[in-house]
Amino acid sequence: MSSRTQDRRHYAADLRKSSVVRMNAITFTGVSKSYDTVRAVETLDLEIGSGQAVALLGPNGAGKSTSIGMLLGLVRPSAGTVSVFGDTPGAAVRAGRIGAMLQDGSLVQGVTVREVVEFVRGLYPEPMPLEEVLALANLSSLARRRADQLSGGQAQRVRFALAIAGAPSLLVLDEPTAAMDVESRRSFWASMRAYAAGGRTILFATHYLEEADENADRIIVMTRGRIVADGTAQEIKAAAGGRTVRFTIGDQPTAGLDTLPGVTAVELRGGTARLRTTDPDATVRALYASGVQVRDLEVKGAGLEDAFLSLTGDN
Amino acid sequence: MFRYLLLEMRRMYRDRRFVFFTIAIPVAFYLLWSNIFAKNSGLDTDTGLDAKTYLLVSMASFGALGASLTTTGPRLAAERQSGWLRQLQVTPLRPAAVIITKVLASMCLALPAIVSVGLTAALTQHVRLSPGAWAAMIALMWAGTLPFAALGTLIGSLAGADAAQPLTVACYFTLSILGGLWMSVSVLPRTLRHIAHWTPSNRFADLGWSVVAGHAPPVSDAFVLGGWTVVLGALAIVAYRRATVRS
Repeated sequence: MSSRTQDRRHYAADLRKSSVVRMNAITFTGVSKSYDTVRAVETLDLEIGSGQAVALLGPNGAGKSTSIGMLLGLVRPSAGTVSVFGDTPGAAVRAGRIGAMLQDGSLVQGVTVREVVEFVRGLYPEPMPLEEVLALANLSSLARRRADQLSGGQAQRVRFALAIAGAPSLLVLDEPTAAMDVESRRSFWASMRAYAAGGRTILFATHYLEEADENADRIIVMTRGRIVADGTAQEIKAAAGGRTVRFTIGDQPTAGLDTLPGVTAVELRGGTARLRTTDPDATVRALYASGVQVRDLEVKGAGLEDAFLSLTGDN
Repeated sequence: MFRYLLLEMRRMYRDRRFVFFTIAIPVAFYLLWSNIFAKNSGLDTDTGLDAKTYLLVSMASFGALGASLTTTGPRLAAERQSGWLRQLQVTPLRPAAVIITKVLASMCLALPAIVSVGLTAALTQHVRLSPGAWAAMIALMWAGTLPFAALGTLIGSLAGADAAQPLTVACYFTLSILGGLWMSVSVLPRTLRHIAHWTPSNRFADLGWSVVAGHAPPVSDAFVLGGWTVVLGALAIVAYRRATVRS
């Protein structure tokens, strides 16, 4: 083997190594967490590249908050390692590379919104300008108000401002819209997307399916401490039960519908049949061939909700 | 950390009622005791001080002790519960900086408590000390609040929000009695007198009594107070770290 080939190999290996370090914002390697006898998170392996917006989706008790706690260095894993930009979570927090919006908890007492945002900004090495933070979090008109005298939705906006004040490369949000009404929710996600547009990495936990669908490039579905699906919203919908063929069947006999090709489930309600299928083309062809009078035919992708339920259900 | 100290002081001084009572209670007790005891003109056997001068130091100590314990323990415990400290934990601010700042901020309320009792003594009871003695007393007693602020942060890191308040009051009274702040240590039973000798509160007040009696405090005062500060401060930092990371 010539030394030249060897050099080239080294170079390739170096390149691969350095690109891994640069690209991965978050890496979980064999991470698990137990509280006494309860296993909150089972062997989690996960890589999140920088610049992605990722949703952590799952029902209550799925292990989302524990995973986020470990990512932020607030919870010590029972096993495995978590790294953030190639460093420990604690080091990444101290370097000001992480901003986080934690679940509930009241804000600090006795200071104004402007004072608390300005204070947290000052803790970071390269913060965002104060007025920009206030504008992005939609707080400019509340800046002089006491932080402990705000409504639930307003307090959430302050928490968001505290999370982004230091212009962190990784923004972590644990169920950020829990206390918000529909309108605040919409404007919140608009703010979040504006922040993410700067090439930053976002990880948010939610149990609202549409939030994950609309705001994430990638969705990680967790249930009972495990990852059960990981991909784009499209991929997850496809993986979890394909599509639905829906038509009006009236009072015709329904026997045989469940044996049509591709069909995995049949639901009949008020003269309407809904067939869940992995292969809608074959199902529809066979349906017409079966002699059933088909009216009002509709073929739809399964909603994310269906996908979610089928992924997190007991089967 | 300086910004954090400013924020903490701003928060503390905006709580007007809290500041008022922290300063008013030792002043009120000073007026009460000195009016009761000033009539018996006897001198204290240990220090050779008259009652109103002896009480000046006792009540300044009592006030400083109260200020440094109540601004740390219950507040820290409440902030731990409210989630504010968890929010700070995901910023670059270090856990040790939180404890150190709490200690410094509490000392900033202890100072006015000491000065107010001093002013009351000079203005109403005609206690006369040389400017040097006033300055030395205030400076030494201010520095001497360190172990109590450290104790407060330890309580705040260990106890929940509900338990922190009564625990602080219990420490406050125990230390006041053992320190000889309510009555001279010489009236305590023998065993307690021996224990009192090693308490930070007794050594703390001794700094003041020595200075107003016209001599330098014994070096052992500095060692006892320094020892308590290091031990309690280190425990507080460890306890705070443990309290904020779930293992």
